[in-house]
Amino acid sequence: MTEVHLRGVGKDFGAFTAISRIDLDIKSGELVALLGPSGCGKTTTLRMIAGLEVPTSGQILFDGEDVSEVPVQDRNVGMVFQRYALFPHMTVEKNVTFGLKVRGTPAEEIKERLEDILDVVQLQPFRHRFPAQLSGGQMQRVAIARTLITKPSVLMMDEPLANLDTKLRGEMRRFIRDLQQRLGITTIFVTHDQIEAMELADRVAVIFNGNLAQYDRPDVLYQRPSSIEVADFMGADNIFPADISSAGVIDSRFGKLTFDPATAPAQDGEGHFLLRSEAIDLLLTAEGAETNLIQGVVRNREFFGASVNYAVECAGETINVSEQSRRLVEVGETVWLRIQPNHIWVIQEGSRA
Amino acid sequence: MWIQLMPVLVVLSVLFGGALVLGVMQSLGFAPWFGVNTFPDFQYFGALWGDWFFWQSLGLTLYYALVSTFLSLVMGVLLALALVRYFPGKTFYKYLYKLPLMIPYTVGIALAVIMMGNSGMISRLMAFVGLIDDPSQFPQILKTHYGWGIIAVYVWKQTPFVALTVYAVLLGVGRETEEAAAILGANKWQIFFQVTFPQILPGIVSSTLIIFAFNIGAFEAPFILGGGFPDTLPVVAWRYFNDADYTLQLQGMATVVSIALIAGVILYSYLSFYRRYERRIGRH
Ligand SMILES: Nc1ncnc2c1ncn2[C@@H]1O[C@H](COP(=O)(O)OP(=O)(O)OP(=O)(O)O)[C@@H](O)[C@H]1O
Ligand SMILES: [Mg+2]
Repeated sequence: MTEVHLRGVGKDFGAFTAISRIDLDIKSGELVALLGPSGCGKTTTLRMIAGLEVPTSGQILFDGEDVSEVPVQDRNVGMVFQRYALFPHMTVEKNVTFGLKVRGTPAEEIKERLEDILDVVQLQPFRHRFPAQLSGGQMQRVAIARTLITKPSVLMMDEPLANLDTKLRGEMRRFIRDLQQRLGITTIFVTHDQIEAMELADRVAVIFNGNLAQYDRPDVLYQRPSSIEVADFMGADNIFPADISSAGVIDSRFGKLTFDPATAPAQDGEGHFLLRSEAIDLLLTAEGAETNLIQGVVRNREFFGASVNYAVECAGETINVSEQSRRLVEVGETVWLRIQPNHIWVIQEGSRA
Repeated sequence: MWIQLMPVLVVLSVLFGGALVLGVMQSLGFAPWFGVNTFPDFQYFGALWGDWFFWQSLGLTLYYALVSTFLSLVMGVLLALALVRYFPGKTFYKYLYKLPLMIPYTVGIALAVIMMGNSGMISRLMAFVGLIDDPSQFPQILKTHYGWGIIAVYVWKQTPFVALTVYAVLLGVGRETEEAAAILGANKWQIFFQVTFPQILPGIVSSTLIIFAFNIGAFEAPFILGGGFPDTLPVVAWRYFNDADYTLQLQGMATVVSIALIAGVILYSYLSFYRRYERRIGRH
């Protein structure tokens, strides 16, 4: 449908810089998540793409064309607002058909498209209700239907799932994903929930303080974060400082560990390494005497039903380990942690930013 | 509940209700303190309504009230719409526009005389820049039945009131529905009439109710700035009350009751019309 490019886009509100500089390439039909903590500039970025806010610097291109001079009305974008912004004085039907009516679409066609979209979002029974008479999930579907019926070339959603309960969130996630794939609309959605971003998006743009920190596929972002902040935000908990050699050896407080320089390219020097808690094997004996073995004592256990987390004290530090709860290791037991060299990721700030 | 409301109810029913009942009774011929008691007697209403000048007065009263209400409404809404948008010097304007609200009507009337009178500031200014040869050639604005002076004072005083009310409503409504409408392809007229206006209607209705009720019963401005006979109804009533012949007091009371009746009918139909609209768009 439409490719979107942000070229050095920045936004100041008076003396306050909301977005310093963002470059982003979004392919046609791609679903991209903007992920970041509250106040980092996600909504501002969306509003600039929609044309509600004028960038202070840089360019926004749709299919290679600069759209800075194109008014909001003519950009043919769709936006689902963080708080839905439904028209409170219109019924579901009127809300949904608003976009077509103001564009002067023939009544026959409006009627047809209305029926189609109400079926898609399953709102047929609620068509004569007012927004105040709907649940959060229903309001959200109205907001989505109202946007989709205009066949936007770029769809934007600002934290569309933030106000829903866990079950409804899951349903709506699948619903959005299916719909997006069926219609192939270039979609940008905002979230501050990394799980949601990873589940839904083709690529995730992590934004900190108005800067693009990393833009990658979810698995890359999760396993190979480019900075400690990104790793932290993606929920990593075992990050430790170390001396790193490009040959694949880490010298840390846990002794020497080997990693695979082919998976985790590194330079000689200081840095950090990341152990994903689910990539660590918890062994009760040190048999086999392999490399990358760390001895420790289980200090705490959190049981989640399907999985279980252990806090293991090793050389004065705590390493978190999670595994399927097929067995339970008791607190106080001495254990050995084993990590495969290709599951170690190293972060050296500045080298791969 | 009842106990807590009692003091208010007592004050309301004794002061307001009592006066109303007495007024109506007096207009129907009950005034033993003047030695008149022909209650119930419709001769005062008959005499009033049977005279052509009453209907002329009513026409004038409604004309001043409706025109100034309408102008204040349009200008107040425009002002409120401007105030929710960002523009340089906005904080200053936010204080400036409220100024007329704090200045009494009588001062406003005096200002109108100073500015718009035949030897007023505007006429002198026009003579000074050479638009007219002499201040006395300045067209008569005040004391005509067009009521420019009256309307000017009302509009000057009431535009800020409408703006203040509608501005508060607009702040509550927020910009988001307007932005959503723009993204959906609506132009600014469609946005205003289909999205913004229905949402600020409650504020518009309540502020017009208040200013219209005031305008139809106001006395000072038409008294000082009006064009003389035929006067507006409140001025007519005042003339009766002030007449040496104190039996005309009853005629005056009939005029006051007529004003109340007319205002009541108009405001009631306006409100029920609005209620019908509200129900149609699903608000309760
Ligand atoms: N109109 C504005 N004027 C001044 N500052 C603004 C304006 N809009 C946003 N900001 C500031 O810009 C920064 C980014 O805001 P933005 O709304 O984009 O955050 P966000 O990433 O969407 O956050 P959240 O997850 O809380 O919605 C914030 O610090 C905010 O205070
Ligand atoms: Mg936001």
